[in-house]
Amino acid sequence: MTYYHHEITRIRHACYANQEQLNTVIRIRRYMDHHFERELNLDLLSRVAFTSKFHLLRLFKKYYGLTPLQYLTEKRLEKSRDCLKAGMLVSDACFSAGFTSPSSFSTLFKQKMGLSPAAFQKRAISAK
Amino acid sequence: MRVKIISLPVLDQDHALAFYTEKLGFVKKTDIPLGEHSRWLTVVSREEPDGPEVLLEPAPRHFAPAKTYQQALFDAGIPYTQFYVDNVDQEFERLGRLGVEFSVKPMDMGTVKLAVLNDTCGNHIQLVEMR
Repeated sequence: MTYYHHEITRIRHACYANQEQLNTVIRIRRYMDHHFERELNLDLLSRVAFTSKFHLLRLFKKYYGLTPLQYLTEKRLEKSRDCLKAGMLVSDACFSAGFTSPSSFSTLFKQKMGLSPAAFQKRAISAK
Repeated sequence: MRVKIISLPVLDQDHALAFYTEKLGFVKKTDIPLGEHSRWLTVVSREEPDGPEVLLEPAPRHFAPAKTYQQALFDAGIPYTQFYVDNVDQEFERLGRLGVEFSVKPMDMGTVKLAVLNDTCGNHIQLVEMR
């Protein structure tokens, strides 16, 4: 066994011993991956996870480093980028990714990506 | 600023290009001669051709400390870098059939599953699947 293998085995025992908690957060992440275009909130996710929303919030942050809402937003932005690269209209990309307001989407997109959805699309298409 | 390239030291660029394209499935993006023994050689993911490029750089051949560093990481089994895959088990099976050796077989690591392979270019490479 290499030093690295030994170390990751040690870390797994130290940090990831609670399989039940892991199963819960993994199930919720997959649920968001499959239903990101729907209206999702912590109440609904906690019902899917059979746990309280505060417990879910803590667990998700502990294992993924993000709150469920932050993860969902990143997922939706990733999807919107795919849509824009495929040539979709900005408003269509917004709704396809699960955002409900084109203006809020554009503001968030620019804040995260440093350029507007239209500018992103122009750059992505010209790079092909 | 944007992340466009990550560098990966390799002992032999021809061998590295063959391994990274024929075994791992990357695609050659740029290949520019730089003198007699070096090339600016990059590969990209087949699934993300416009994504970050992996620069297969021959640093260990030309700069002894780079070789020392690479060797120390390799001896400890520490991956030089990691690539994301959809399914670690499937990649382990597929690459195993192609003769690729793994120092860490697929194992769960919290919210990810990982495995570590030998790229035969002087590096261990970690494959990661989000669970």
